[in-house]
Parts: sequence; structure tokens; C-alpha cells
Amino acid sequence: MKPFRLSRRTLLRGAGSIALGLPWLEAMLPDARAESTTLAKRFIAVYQPGGTVLDKWRPSGTETDFTLSPILTPFQALKDKLTIIDGVDMVSAVGEQHQSGIVALLTGTPQTGNQQFSGGPSLDQVIAARASADKTYKSLEFAVRWATGKSHGRLHPINSLTFADDTNFSPIPPRIDPVDVWDTLFGSLSSDGSSTPSLLASKRSMLDFLDRRYQAVAASLGTRDRQKLEEHLEQIRTLERALSVEPSTDASCTAPAVVDTADYDPRSGINSADDGSLKDTSSDAAIPKVGQYFMDMLVMALACDLTGVATLQWSDTEAKHTFPWLNLSEHHHFYQHDGGFRPAECEQIATWYSEQHAYLLQRMSETDMGGHSLLDESVVFFGSELQDPPSHQKNNAPFLLGGNGGGLRSGRYLTYSGESHNDLLLSLLRLFGDERESFGDANYCNGVLAGVV
Amino acid sequence: MTRQLRSDEGDFSARWQRRTSVGKHALWYAAGGIATQLLPGCVSAGEMQHEESPAPSISASSSAGIDPGVPSAAGLIELPAQAPSLPTPQSSAGPPSSGTTTPAETPASTSAPASPTSACTTRSPGDSPLRRLTRFEYSNTVSSLLGVDAHAGDQLPAELVGNGFGNDANAQPTSAFLIEQYARLASAMASAALSSGEALSRYSSCTLPIAEADEASCASEFIERFATSAYRRPLDDAEVDELLELQAAARGEMEFEASLGLVMEALLQSPDFLYRVEHGAMDDAGALRPTDFEMASRLSYLFTAGPPDSELQQSANDGLLRTNDQVRQQAERLVKTPEARSVVAYFFDNYLPINGLTDLSRDRELFPSFSPEIGALMHEETQRFLEHVVFDGDGTWDAALTAPFTFVNAKLAAFYGLAGVEGDEFQRVELDPGKRLGLLTQGALLTGTTVSNVTNPVRRGGYLLSHLLCVDVPRPPPELLARVKPPEPYSGKTGRERYTAHSAEEACAGCHAILDPPGFALENFDAVGLWRDQEGGETIDASGELAYFPEAFDGPVELVEQIAASEATYMCFAKNWQTFAYGRELADADLCNQEQLTQSFTQSKHNVAQLLVDLTQTDGFLYLGTEADSEEQP
Repeated sequence: MKPFRLSRRTLLRGAGSIALGLPWLEAMLPDARAESTTLAKRFIAVYQPGGTVLDKWRPSGTETDFTLSPILTPFQALKDKLTIIDGVDMVSAVGEQHQSGIVALLTGTPQTGNQQFSGGPSLDQVIAARASADKTYKSLEFAVRWATGKSHGRLHPINSLTFADDTNFSPIPPRIDPVDVWDTLFGSLSSDGSSTPSLLASKRSMLDFLDRRYQAVAASLGTRDRQKLEEHLEQIRTLERALSVEPSTDASCTAPAVVDTADYDPRSGINSADDGSLKDTSSDAAIPKVGQYFMDMLVMALACDLTGVATLQWSDTEAKHTFPWLNLSEHHHFYQHDGGFRPAECEQIATWYSEQHAYLLQRMSETDMGGHSLLDESVVFFGSELQDPPSHQKNNAPFLLGGNGGGLRSGRYLTYSGESHNDLLLSLLRLFGDERESFGDANYCNGVLAGVV
Repeated sequence: MTRQLRSDEGDFSARWQRRTSVGKHALWYAAGGIATQLLPGCVSAGEMQHEESPAPSISASSSAGIDPGVPSAAGLIELPAQAPSLPTPQSSAGPPSSGTTTPAETPASTSAPASPTSACTTRSPGDSPLRRLTRFEYSNTVSSLLGVDAHAGDQLPAELVGNGFGNDANAQPTSAFLIEQYARLASAMASAALSSGEALSRYSSCTLPIAEADEASCASEFIERFATSAYRRPLDDAEVDELLELQAAARGEMEFEASLGLVMEALLQSPDFLYRVEHGAMDDAGALRPTDFEMASRLSYLFTAGPPDSELQQSANDGLLRTNDQVRQQAERLVKTPEARSVVAYFFDNYLPINGLTDLSRDRELFPSFSPEIGALMHEETQRFLEHVVFDGDGTWDAALTAPFTFVNAKLAAFYGLAGVEGDEFQRVELDPGKRLGLLTQGALLTGTTVSNVTNPVRRGGYLLSHLLCVDVPRPPPELLARVKPPEPYSGKTGRERYTAHSAEEACAGCHAILDPPGFALENFDAVGLWRDQEGGETIDASGELAYFPEAFDGPVELVEQIAASEATYMCFAKNWQTFAYGRELADADLCNQEQLTQSFTQSKHNVAQLLVDLTQTDGFLYLGTEADSEEQP
């Protein structure tokens, strides 16, 4: 582990085996507000499958004087950094009972379209238009033991959490391979070497060529196919703009220690077609290690100012993996309802997820960003696709906020009576300076949730 | 759409919208010919009314989380005393001809319709959306182009499930992550292919070191040849010139070879490489066919999931891919290549519930002999078996379903309790004729349809119905699920006892009378596919009947025999291949495509390799459709 400083050179270095960094620039920010120190700088959303056990989750006490529940006990040391949201309903989650929950969680829209995905962009992508305006990546999406069960390693409404702010609100594929993520984010930083201006010029002329080529081919096709290539071109232009971005060199950051994840197959379920060879798989057992590795990389991606927005998915709504380290040999969905609701096991699993999330918040609170911690400048959203596993009910959704970004006053337990979670999402936008009046499907949004902002 | 449906979760709105947009004839085909016959048994009148009316928007539904496409609980109760039988080749009746006849009014005794031949006299290619290379195709393509390792595509982000095969051209969004990975891979592969000398030796006659005076001719030769391979077609002069300009500009900034690398990098990210761009050309009859080189790619990607080989390139160059016969002759050649075997394996990995087996774990105390390695061996058993049947054996789908043998090695034989098999090599063994018969009784299928340590007959039955028979049984609506809890897996002594309890609930019984029997017939196989006569001290009752089959069955062998005897099984299989081959979901405009393929499949006596060849003789393969074609009513 050695300290390094990010520079434009390290990001762009390497026409050879090393990648271009992918800076992201929002060409035109909508109603951009003057930078204010009170605005939140980073947004992190973490998804946990399978809801909770409400009577083991619900804290007791008042807004400022409350006692954590068994499931939330792992947050004891971070209690002052939490804002617990109790009594909000996911009424915009309309559709299949698991799928609609994960689709609506960050979008506030019912399932829609041919592929039954989202009717709008997810909150993280909307926030990224502001928070990542000067960052290398618009956002980073990570997932652990993802695309289990019937999705067979592919994007499907059962496993899609984030949706692009494009015409189709396309589901965004998460990064699932920890080795690949490390290489992408931190690999080019481990050696010095620099890109020459001439190499940059050549890269630019290559991207110019691609720009012309996509335009030419797109123009020769019908409307729908043309649109497909134009969306591709838009992403290439993002890459092109990267060449003009100077990543921040203010933050000092440290590449996370490389973790051996040879026992973890991030593509389990996808690649068995290749040659039928036997794999030494113990991916389930590696989940805690890999999850922590992803959290370490997530924290450092923020500390290194590579992005302002990141999401982490623990599995998906199928959650068809086991928990060997908890001595639970059935998969999560089994304990939720496939095998009849098992509250003790569900509590055990939810508590474990609390421990993981507490680790993330702890790491963020220990990361200095120049006089304040990373957690101080961030808003960390934690939620699930439903509340009650056996009934799939989405009322009293177990939402947690972490951090103090945008002046979020933490150390509070806020209770509500059935307000729409769209209101909560809208409130989070305000912390980033977005003053819109509604978020998600307007039918389910009634304005800012009182008490949050 | 039936591919989407497992007994666990279905995509109601999508299926429902599909029904609303699809004509009766097409619906019959789309569902493999049974859905409309079947649905009266477990779909509400309400849903049937929806089918006749325009699709309401989802957001118009109530905020209580109820999907408008989901049948109401009340409607689930109706179950006809006798459901209609599956279609048979002998059926002579037409399809349900009146669009206004609700299935509920259809007499239960109506036999299934025959194919609506009269509707298919005109050419009907259906839609031909722009296809991006899948990860599988990308891997094969760069491997063929540069000789690099054939797993490069694994670095690309996940595809959408789409049509069930991950190759749905209408479900291929572009993410920043995808573009970034294309850029990374292009850069890395170009660099590697140049530094190894592979690229220059393949695509040029240049000899190293290259004198400055020879650079221009070397670059010109290399770029034109490499680009022709990358684009899978010849380039016009302007296209070549633009690439040469790119190289010349780069040469001013870097070494000669690096400048070639930059051009390679560009080509590997170009639309002509990453997409299967098709413009088509009018044939003498005034129909739009893929151009010669576009047809070469259609053939190569169907049979090899990779770029055209030299013979296809030559044929395209010589204009020898213009008639149906010429296309068929190439198909007959290609289906015999080793690459075709890997495509068939890919198909089965997506069609069958077997691609998670290599990562499967089960309770060690309950199943001490099972391990992830056994799961991987089961996967290999099924793939070897299918490869043998399809390419080296009888060749028919019937044979795959009813073969009295399988392939195991010593470890897997020991797991199954089969004597006399030694060594790591897989070898053919005969099955116990009273217990196992064909593909559906293999460990991979039985384990792959079980997601926990206890069998779930609903899931197994649902899989057989949706994937083998294309019978689409809707998922219970949320309010019903909220009210009726699934059975405790350890609550009853046997699977039948547990699941009979919930099927006794009136609102559930309609669909479960259809879903459960095939699953009950497989209850002699435990969660890891091992035979058992008893569960929880009770003798397992594996008998059942399903009105779509002519006879009652007792146990897995009788169930398999009836599935294998049903014409719906073969229509469904053909439909899945067609979905895969066209790289999209089938739509109402595909009615004639489906009819063409189903008829040839019958004529070939269900030969699978011949099915692939016959796919190339359908309008959807021979012609270029337009977006509007997908809406066209046959």
C-alpha cells in the first residue's frame, strides 16, 4: 500500500494495457446553483435485499432520545451519524412485488416499459449531474454476489437498482468484479509514467474518428437503430470530454490494499457455458471479504475524488445465495418466504447487513477530507426493496440515512405515518441543492418530507 | 415471454401487454399453441377482458401495488372440469378464429388449432433490429480477429435478460461502464496483438524492422486488411482513406507500430465492428434481403457466434449467398463445425436451468455427497449428453427427452450410485428404466429447478410447463400472496403433502391444478437429483394427471413419456430457438416465421441440427424486416 496522488497524467497514461480514465462532465447543468459549503458533496446508496423484521428493527424513544433496536445495534458507535426514517411507505413501488421494490427504491416510479424496468432515472444519477460535475466518473456502481437466481448473471428487474437519465431510463450494469474494479480505479496509479501531450492528441483524433463514424452509420439507419447508435456516441463523447478534465489533486488518497479474491466468482452463473471445466467456487463464503473490499474501494474512490456518487448492491431481490459464515445453509429468499417466513434467520441476516453498513459509515467517518470527514460531507442512503419479507409489504420501509452532507442533522429518529418515500427522495435532492418540486412519479410525490431537511 | 416465467416470479405486465398486443393467431403460436387453451383454467375473466382492450398504463393502477395485468384473486377460482388437450399434428381445426370469442366461452373440448396456413402466403420477415455483439459473440470475434484469449467479453458488463438468451437487440442499452470497457479492451488487445507480432503477420506482408520508406505501403496494406476483417465487409475508398489519415496523424506523434495500434483501437470500437449493421439490398423479386456480406454474418453468428470464416467471406465476395439454396448449403456446412457445438451449448445453458450449478451449495448434513464439484459435473453431464444426442447420436429432440442413457465419470457415477464407472473421463451408462428417462430426469435439471434444500414441486412443474411446453401460468397477484403463505418446507412429511395444502385454498387451486402435477411426478428426486422412494418416512406418491396430457401418469418416466409425445413440446422448442436466432422476442409478425419453422421441424422428425439449418430458410432469416414489420398483422 503506497500513497499516491491522482493526476490527469496517471489517469490518461497508457495507450497500452492501461485504460483511459473515464471522466464525466455534465455539459449543461440545470439551474446550477452557486457552490455553497452547505450543500452535500457525495451521495452513496446501499441496497440490502429482503427487507427486515420490523419489530426487531424499530427503535424506541423520541426523535433525539432513542434506543437502537436489535437489528440496528451494530450502529451504536455511529448513532450520532444516523438519521433513522420510520413510517414511510414505498407507494410508488407498483408492479411485481420484489422487482417493483428495487426499481422504485431510488426512482420513485412504478415498473414500466417493455422490459419492466423504471419509469424514470434513479436518484443517484440525478444527483450525479451536480455532485460529479467535475469528477472522473459520473458514478460508480458496485454489486456483491449479484444477479443470482433466475436472472442468471444478467440485468433484470429483479436486480437493477440504478437507472440512467436517458430516454429509456436504462438499467445501469454494476461493476461486479473486485479485481477489475481495483485495476480500473487504482491500477494506473501504482506505477509512474506519464502520457505525453502527443499521445493525448492522438487519442483525441481517434475519438474524433469514432464520433464521425457513429454519426455516419447512425444516419444510414432507421429511427430506432439510429437512436441506439446515438446513445452509444453520447457515451463516447463522455470519454472524449475526459481528455479535458483535470481531476482534483487536492485530496490525498491511498490505494486500498489488494485482497485476494480468487475464491470468489463474480460471474457465477454466467460463464459456465465456456468450457464446462470445474470451478473451485466458494463465492458465498467469500461474500463478507469481498463486500468489505468493495466498501474499501468505494470509500477510496470518493476520497480520491474520482466520483461524487456511488452505489453498492448486496446481491439482488432473489438473494439466492447462502450465508455460510452465519451457519445459514439456505438462501436468503428461502428464509424470507420460499421456505416459509423465518423471522429469527431474517433478523440474523438483517443484523449482519447492519454490521456491514456500519463498517462503511465507520470507514467514511475516519477518512479526512481536509478538516472534516468523508461522512460529514456525504449523504448515505440505506434501504431495501420491501419491509416485510413474507407479505412483501412496503409500508414502514426500513430506511437509514448516514452522514451530515448538506447540513443533514443526524442523531435523530424520525417517525412518519405513511408518507410516500418519493418525498424522502425529493428531500435528499434538496441536500444537494436541487430545488425541484417533485421526484419520481408525481402521483406519488407530495413534496419534501417534513423534518429531514 | 414464457421464458421469463418461473414459478417463483413472473413478469405480469409484460406478459399481459404482450397478450393485448398480439392477435389471436399469433398468441396461439407465441405460446406454443396452448396458452389460450390453458388459461381459462387459471386466469380471471378480468384478464381476458383486458386482452380485448387497449393496454392501460401501469401508473394508472391503484397505489396499493396491484398490477392491472394481474388477475384478481376471485378470477383464479374458475377451473374447467376438463381442460382441453394439447395440440396434435393431426388436428385439423383452425385457430380460434374469432377475436371476440373469449376463452371462457371456448368449449373445453375444443381441440387445438392447426397452423393457420392461409395467413402465410406473403413474405413476412418480422423485425430486424440492429444487433450489438453479445459478450459471447464479442469474445469469439476478437479471438478470431486477433488470436487473443476467447474470454475477453467476460470483461464487459452484464447484458439484460431480455428475450431470455441475453441477445435481445431491443434490450441493449449503452452504459458508461460498457463504453469504458470497450475502450480498455480495444487498447489492451491492439497493444498485445502488435507487440506479439500477431497482428502484422496476419494482416500484412510487412517485415520488421520497417524502413521509413516502406511505412506507407505497410500501413495501407495492414489497415485495409485488418479493417475488412473487423468490419466483416470490404471498405470503400473513402473509408480506407479516413483510416489512413488517422494513422498518418498519429504517426506524427508516435512510433509507426503504435500508430497502427491506434487505428486498431479505433476499429475495435467502431459501430461496424461492435454492431451487426444491415442495410440490405433489393433482390430481383423486389424483396429486401441482407447484402452478401450481411448474410455471411447472419450465418456465421447463428452457427458460430463469431465472424464469417474464409469460405463464407469468399461466397459473399462471389455473390453466392443470394438464393435460399445457397444459404441452406452454407448452413449445412456450418452446422457441422465445432463452433456450432459451442453455440448449441450456449443455447442450452440459457434454455435449461443449469448454468448456476457450478456455484451451487447445499446443506452438507442433509446432502453429504453433494458439493459444488458435483454440481459442475452434473452440468457437464447434461452438456455432454446433449452434444452427443444432437451431433453424434439420434439427433432429435425426442431422443434428448427419452434417451435411456446418460454420461458420467467415476465421481458422478458414485454420486448417483452407479456401479462400474472408473476414471475422470465421461462415459455412456444406461439408466434404470424404472426411474430415469432422458434429459428431464438428469441431476442437472432436478437440482437446477430446486433452489434450496427441499424440493419445490411448484417450481419444477412451473419450469417444465413454461420452458418445455411454453405454457404460461400467471403468478398469483400480490394481495393473494400477502394472504396465503407458502408452506413451511419442513411442515409436511412429503412435498405433495406440503403443497397440496396450499393448493386446497380455493383461490390458488385453479393454477396449481396445472402447475403442481408435473412437479409431483418428479418428487422421487430430492434436492440434488438423487432417487428416493420415501420422504419423511412416507412413501412418495408421484402420480398425477394434467388435462393437457391424454393419460394420467405415475412417476417421472411416465411424465417424460407424455411430454415427449406432445406436439406442444416441439413447437415450444422451435420457438425458443427462433427467439435465440433472431436475437429478439417474437412478435405477432412472426406468426409465419413460426409456422415455417414448426412445419420443417415436424418434417425433419424433430432433428435439432436440421432445425438450425431450417431456421435459415425462414423469412425472418432470409429477408430484412423493418421496425414497422414488427407491428404488421399477418
